[in-house]
Amino acid sequence: MLLAGWVASAFAVSAVADPLALGAASAAALLVFRRGLLRNLRRVARSVVPVTAALSALSWVFLYAAQGRPPPLAPFGALALRASVLAFLTFAVLDRVNLLRAVAPWPAATRLLVLSLAQIHALRLLATDSLQGLRSRLPRKPHAADVVRGAGGITAALLAVSARNAREVSEAMRARGF
Amino acid sequence: MHVPDGFLSPQITLPAYAVAAPLWAWAARRHFGRASAESLPAMGSLTALAFVIQTIAIPVPGGTSTHLVGVTLLALLFHPLVAFTCESLVLLVQALFFGAGGITVLGVNALAMGLLGPLAGWLAWRALRGVHERAAVFAAAYLAMQVSTLAVVAALGLQHALSQRYFPVPVAAVLPAMMLPSLTVAGLAEGAYTVFALSLLGKANLRGLSPR
Repeated sequence: MLLAGWVASAFAVSAVADPLALGAASAAALLVFRRGLLRNLRRVARSVVPVTAALSALSWVFLYAAQGRPPPLAPFGALALRASVLAFLTFAVLDRVNLLRAVAPWPAATRLLVLSLAQIHALRLLATDSLQGLRSRLPRKPHAADVVRGAGGITAALLAVSARNAREVSEAMRARGF
Repeated sequence: MHVPDGFLSPQITLPAYAVAAPLWAWAARRHFGRASAESLPAMGSLTALAFVIQTIAIPVPGGTSTHLVGVTLLALLFHPLVAFTCESLVLLVQALFFGAGGITVLGVNALAMGLLGPLAGWLAWRALRGVHERAAVFAAAYLAMQVSTLAVVAALGLQHALSQRYFPVPVAAVLPAMMLPSLTVAGLAEGAYTVFALSLLGKANLRGLSPR
């Protein structure tokens, strides 16, 4: 129910351009999702605010230079507020929902999610180890070319691990009657 | 590169879902059906691979960074629709488990980054591979990155044309802001990465990872 409500409210908020309505939506979201408020606000400040603020500032300056007069701030404020409310709603809802339990009625989707998440964790460990190895082998900070060359090698290793994992999981699923 | 929630209204996001839905339905029939014990692990592995590749940050002069996408690699290794399915799953996992991207813009991002870019790259690779294999791979990955970025710019430009009050940023500002890094850094990095990865994978054993 919470997930369905989140999807519906996300689409509803994404349709709003009026700053006052967005302010009301923000206040309601903050009131409803008080638990973990500070943590979720910090996550919004880290992930959404820099991108939106940079793009808005760049565009505002561009429009000012092109038109010779300052453009209205309200649409930029509404854009930043809308992106922030939607991100806050996402973080707050995802904190409260067990997604794997939510998709339990669809066994194939559940299996795919579990497989993907498990492999993501396994492959991320391997990728992190490899990138740290690259850093430790270089006497300086890796440049873009070093990372790109290293990523090619990591991909070969990841794909080999993926192939082995996929075969093992396939066989395990077949052995359990799937 | 992907569009975050709040930048596009339902006037664009809902039609994008309508376009992406038949492709997702095709993927579901293909991968979640009776043969799912065979194809699900492969899809899960490729999705995880694409996800992890996208976490590899490339340092950019000026102190910031961009990241690889890696979906063209999947399109060249398997098929553009496999790349589309995996990228859609990556975006879904990012939106639901890591709070990145967004659920309302999932269709737009999946079409731009998972379908249009890799499909353009795959077509370019097929056209050019007879001339020079490595150059064709590089061109394919570079082109895929530019097409994906242009598709995102087009979606944002359409939103601006529909309502300047909703999205006040004009195409004239979005285009250089997105295309310059894509043309000068991200595209080159993606091209070089795809060439390196494919040349190393030429010797790798890919059996068990062929969902086609």
